[in-house]
Amino acid sequence: METTAAINVSEALRRADGDQDFFLTLAGLFLEESSKEAAAARAALERQDRAELAAAAHKLKGSVMEMCAPRLFERTTRLEELGRRGEFAEASSVCADVEACLAEVHAALRELIARGFPS
Amino acid sequence: MNSNALHHIGKAADLSAWREASIATILLVDDEPVTRAGMAARLTRLGYRVLEAENGREGLEVARRERPDLLIVDWVMPEMDGPTFCEAMRRDPLLKSSHILLMTAHDQPAQIAEGLARGADDFLSKAASKQEVTARVLAGLRTSRLVRELETTGSQLESSMRLLQTRQAEMETDLQSAANFVHSMLPAQGSLAQGISLAWEYQPALTLGGDLFGVAPIDAEHLGLYILDASGHGVAAALRSATLMTFLRVDNMLQLIGSYDPEKVLFEANRRFPLSDEGDYFTLWVGQLHVPTRSLSYASAGHHGVLLNPAEKPSRWLTRPSSPLGFNPASVFACDQLTLQPADRLFLLSDGIYEASSPTGEPWGRWRFQQAVETQKRSPLSATISHCFTEARRWQEQCEFLDDAAVVGLELAV
Repeated sequence: METTAAINVSEALRRADGDQDFFLTLAGLFLEESSKEAAAARAALERQDRAELAAAAHKLKGSVMEMCAPRLFERTTRLEELGRRGEFAEASSVCADVEACLAEVHAALRELIARGFPS
Repeated sequence: MNSNALHHIGKAADLSAWREASIATILLVDDEPVTRAGMAARLTRLGYRVLEAENGREGLEVARRERPDLLIVDWVMPEMDGPTFCEAMRRDPLLKSSHILLMTAHDQPAQIAEGLARGADDFLSKAASKQEVTARVLAGLRTSRLVRELETTGSQLESSMRLLQTRQAEMETDLQSAANFVHSMLPAQGSLAQGISLAWEYQPALTLGGDLFGVAPIDAEHLGLYILDASGHGVAAALRSATLMTFLRVDNMLQLIGSYDPEKVLFEANRRFPLSDEGDYFTLWVGQLHVPTRSLSYASAGHHGVLLNPAEKPSRWLTRPSSPLGFNPASVFACDQLTLQPADRLFLLSDGIYEASSPTGEPWGRWRFQQAVETQKRSPLSATISHCFTEARRWQEQCEFLDDAAVVGLELAV
């Protein structure tokens, strides 16, 4: 199984007990929820709300874990830490990274949903 | 999308886990839909019934309603986080023994310690593999099942204990009521007839006693007196004794045999109170005192506890070899006669007093009773009896008697 730049497909599928249908259903849910969670993180950052930024990043991190997206996971983890510490300057940059990584993950998932798993 | 819609995906259940899981119910409390859906599907695949709640408050409601076997709770949640949820669970009497796995990305010892201190039973990493999830859930369910069994057993024991206590209280009330009734049938102390006074002390081994006595006027010139001892003690002995006591009432004897002649009383009692199927029997001493002449006639059916304590002569036991009641329906109980003198005392006593044993097992004995009585000749009758009880208690080194203890004293005026 291929590992795309954004997500580790084989690991994600293993986590879903090899059930491709289940993974794709979960991916659909992720596409809906992760956008909201990323938007919540951005809004908290703009308000400079440490607690809300950390909470939104934490929530996004949890869902990213299900998708096995290592770079996005690393960036959300960092964003959560910065939010907790109130380091908004760096958080602003990391939040942009998160949004970019998330877009890549979304694109990868949409492709998987559209074309199916590589054989 | 409702994550419950994902449950149909979990078709390929792990059969061994299914067997272990049976119909175990797991409540999953997590505000993050993707994580919750992923974990719910995993647990459903393992054969569990999975309930979901989006936050701690909703989780508590579901837990109270469904009493799940295991809870998996996310640490970080808005409103009520995982540790706070655990604390709320532990405060709830219905839920406090629930088994809770706290799901977290935290793996620092201090955080784990905090989670445990605030009520979590174990931890489950969000990144846990299927094998780890399975192992931790099975371990949690095993513990949960044991706790439930203990609770059920404890609850049953508590319920049985309450029932027993209620029954015990009812029985004690009944026993006390019966004891009061029996006590009311005992003769009044003080002056019995002209020149004759009566005193007694009675301490049943249990609430109800099997050894009883009676002293009552037969007519203007005669007194009837008896002491009976039922084999055994406790409720059964007391019931049998009360029956014989009723039988020995003066009016009943006069109606049945026309007199209170001790020989005839014993003959009739022997006929009517045979040895029971369980081997229970009575010993009985019956006397009749002609007050004007102070003539005492008496007979005994196996009872050896009557002592004549004359004012000026040595004491002697008023008994002769005889069978207890009921051993032989043809038994004849020979009657003896003597004349009491002024200031003489007559003591009727149950074996519970003279068979009181020292810690080494030696009975106090009739001769010690006799000594106690003789040293107290100049004391008032009630004081003499009280002295006997004191000596017997001192001998056995305890206050309570193992058998019914009774001492009845009659004293003729000088």
